Order: sequence, then structure tokens, then C-alpha cells
Amino acid sequence: MSGRIELVCPAGTPATLRAAVLAGADAVYCGFRDETNARNFPGLNFSPQEMAEGIRFAHGNGSKVLVAINTFARAESTDLWRKAADTAAACGADAVIAADIAVLDHMASSHPGTRLHLSVQAAAATPEAIGFYAKSFGVRRVVLPRVLSVQEIAALNRAIDVETEAFVFGGLCVMMEGRCHLSSYATGKSPNLNGVCSPPEAVSYVEDAEGTTARLAGFTIDRFAAGEPAGYPTLCKGRFTAGDKTGYLFEDPVSLNAGSMIVALKDAGVTALKIEGRQRGKGYVTEVVRAFRRAVDAAENGGDPVEIDGIVASLSEGGRQTTGAYRKTWR
Amino acid sequence: MAAGNEEVCLPASVRRLLPPFAAAPFGPLLTLSLRSLARRRPSLFDRLGEHSTARFLIDPTDLSFAFNVVPDGVSAVVRVTGKSGSAPCDVVIRGPLLTLLGVLDGTLDGDALFFHRAISVNGKTEAVVALRNAIEDAELRPSDLLGLRGALARVADAGILGGLSAARHLAADAPVARARQA
Repeated sequence: MSGRIELVCPAGTPATLRAAVLAGADAVYCGFRDETNARNFPGLNFSPQEMAEGIRFAHGNGSKVLVAINTFARAESTDLWRKAADTAAACGADAVIAADIAVLDHMASSHPGTRLHLSVQAAAATPEAIGFYAKSFGVRRVVLPRVLSVQEIAALNRAIDVETEAFVFGGLCVMMEGRCHLSSYATGKSPNLNGVCSPPEAVSYVEDAEGTTARLAGFTIDRFAAGEPAGYPTLCKGRFTAGDKTGYLFEDPVSLNAGSMIVALKDAGVTALKIEGRQRGKGYVTEVVRAFRRAVDAAENGGDPVEIDGIVASLSEGGRQTTGAYRKTWR
Repeated sequence: MAAGNEEVCLPASVRRLLPPFAAAPFGPLLTLSLRSLARRRPSLFDRLGEHSTARFLIDPTDLSFAFNVVPDGVSAVVRVTGKSGSAPCDVVIRGPLLTLLGVLDGTLDGDALFFHRAISVNGKTEAVVALRNAIEDAELRPSDLLGLRGALARVADAGILGGLSAARHLAADAPVARARQA
């Protein structure tokens, strides 16, 4: 793909949307205040009126808004997803990000003028899967699962004719996206159906003389000594004892940071770079978007790489960062 | 400003100016202030939903008193109280005063502060998340809490926010151990 690489940034509230736009986002992604998006947390997200106002603000400042309707509609309540799709189109969204074929089909048939992006929740990582979504629903862009190396992304881009969007910063999921059952096993709620991983009502932190214990629906998932960095209270980032070893059984609490690989991702044919974190605040969004804006502009203009790791390290989960699967070394 | 893992504690000289008895007027003043804010900007409290009646104990670790807050719109109540354990509450949020104020004015990222253990929370996590998100979207400025408008509001915001920023720098530069021992 040619053209300047697009920086896609998160917003959980109207204030954060404005912060992302003013910090230099080319596009902002956000969702409605219900189960239709995968960040359905208390106090987060947009009412229809806030979405319309947010889109007007973004357009007035030269940015796009991509509306995430990326959970899977339940059989008994599909109206909620249909209404969200209709509202996004009516608000003037530049694209809808969806994973469920029912949502994709409704958008394609009822709102053919609105771009469709395939959510990472669809876990489409092969030319065949992506081709199916492109041919069936007119999907124009696919958000890539965070399991591919840069070489695999380059090969994939040579085999498809839709845009690709790759995560460059933020939380990591250890599972193939859209197929994780850890949260629903422990709490009865899942990111895919209810839009929430480790729902806050199931999370508790208990302090005692030895430190802090994190629990999820009664399961102890970690203990932190005083001053020890913490991560999100998800089972995949929990610390458990297996055999005679205690450690992070699934994945360390660590943030993806592919700031050093912007040029490589562009050379691999990636159209857009995505920053994760719709549940994070204005401070995070402003700082991360500014840092990546400078880095992307430097990469586009052939300038010296911007040192990004030090700038955003303090905002990382667990205070640690990784390039994830992009720089895969174990094969 | 990023959230580092350094603690930014009030200097001992400032702490001495804020003994428990001096805090008593803060309760009624903050109650009036929150209720006034709710009348002027009711949508700010919508994001709290069912959690508007939760009891939040805000415990600045470098002060000798805490605040018990029920952010229930025009019925909001703020009480000055002793440290946790002395009053019933649903949530405890604990951290240095300047750090907590940084979360309130949006200067600092609450999640990053939590990751680095600069603040701690326990109790009803969903209420904490709702409060955090409501505060994030509110974009509160000192003039909002003081009920000021126009030029007076701009002067108050510049003065108070500038003062807070300077206080954070001073506190960060001061030896933390001295504040802890005082």
C-alpha cells in the first residue's frame, strides 16, 4: 500500500476523543455505552449525542472517527447491535469496526456507504479468511491479530487487496483474539459477548501487611508486595503456582510497544497503526499519541527514529514493554 | 505528565499547616461546591450511574485526615473523617495528595499510577472505575469547583493549576524521606 501511514488512537470518553484529536490522531476509535463494544466498562463510552458531537469535533479538526461495534450479537437481543450500527451511520462515522457476520451483513446491506473495518475480534489472519470478509461484506480494512510477525504481515499484504491495521502500543491479549474464554469461565461475562474482560464488579483488591491480593470472582490471581508493579486483573496476567514454580503462567503483565518498528511495518504494507487503550485516560492518550505522532512523522519524512520507549515506558502495564510477535525469535 | 513510581509527598512544612482540626471546614465547603457543580453540569454525574450513591473514602496518605465522599449529584455529601476504618465506606482510594489532585485535574493517568502502585484502591472496583471515567470526562478545573466564571475563573485556574504544578515539582525535588519522617 502507498500513502502516509495513518495513526489510529483510542477514546473512551468525549474528553479523551478531543485530547486524541488535538494530540495528532489521524483517526479515533470509540464505542457506544453498551454491550456492542469490547470496552463496556462503567462510566465509559459515548451516548448517541456524544458520538455525533465527537464526530463533528474530529471532522472539524481533520480527523476521522471509527465506531467499534465489535462484540458478537446475542440471538435474543440483536436489536441492540442493529441500533448501534444505524446510529453510527446516522452520526456520520467514517467507518464501523465489526467482527460479527450479522453486524457486517447489516452494515453492508443497510449502510453500504459506510466503510467497514474488520475488528481484531474476528481473528482473521489468512488471505482466505480476509478474502471472505472482503468479498461477502465489502470490508475495506482488517485489524490484524497480534500473533503475526512482520514477515508474516508482509506476506499477507502481498496476498490480499484490503488495507491492514496493526497494533503498535498498549495491552496484549495472549489468546487468539475473539476466542478467549478465561473471563467468561471465571465471571460469566466475556469480552466477546458482553464487551468486558474481567468485569470490575468481579474484581477486588485486598490489602494486608504482606501487600495486595488481586481477586477475580473469588479466584486469587496475584499478590503484589508493596511497591511491586501491578498489571490488569485478568486471568491471563495472573501469577500462579504450577509444579514447583510460581510465575506468570499465561503471559507477563507487559505492554506492546512497536515504536521501533514503524518503518518495518510500513515496508510490510501496513496502512494504519493502532494504539490500544480505550479504558485509559486523557493523560495516557495525550502522551502516547503525541509520542507516536512524532515517531510516525519522522518515519514518513525519512528522519532519524524518535526514541519512543523512554517516553511511554511509565505508562506501560507492569512497567514493561515488548515488541510481541512482530519480532518473533522462537521459530 | 507520565506517572512515575516516585512518590510526590507534601513537604513537612505544608503538612504542619493542615492538622486534623484545620480540616473541619473542608467538609461543608466541598459539599456546597459539589452540589453547585451538579446543578450547573448535571451530565457530569450521569456517568456514575448506580455508583453515585457509593461511599468513597479518599485518603491522602500525606495528610492526617481523609474525605468521605458520596457524589450523588445535588445531594452530594463530603465529610472530613479520620483514616480508613473509622467510617463505613464502599471504596478506599489512597495516595499522596498531589497525586490524587493530578488524577482529578487530568494531569496524571490513574491506571499508570495504579500499575506503579503510586495509588491503591480497594472495595467496589466497579465504583472506582465509574468514578475514574466520570472524572476523566469532566475535565474539571478549579473554577468549576469554586463556581467561578469569566475572567475570575481564568485567573483562579491559572493560579491554582500553576501552584499545583509548582508544588509537584517542589515535592518531587524534596527528599521523600524527610516528608515521611515528619
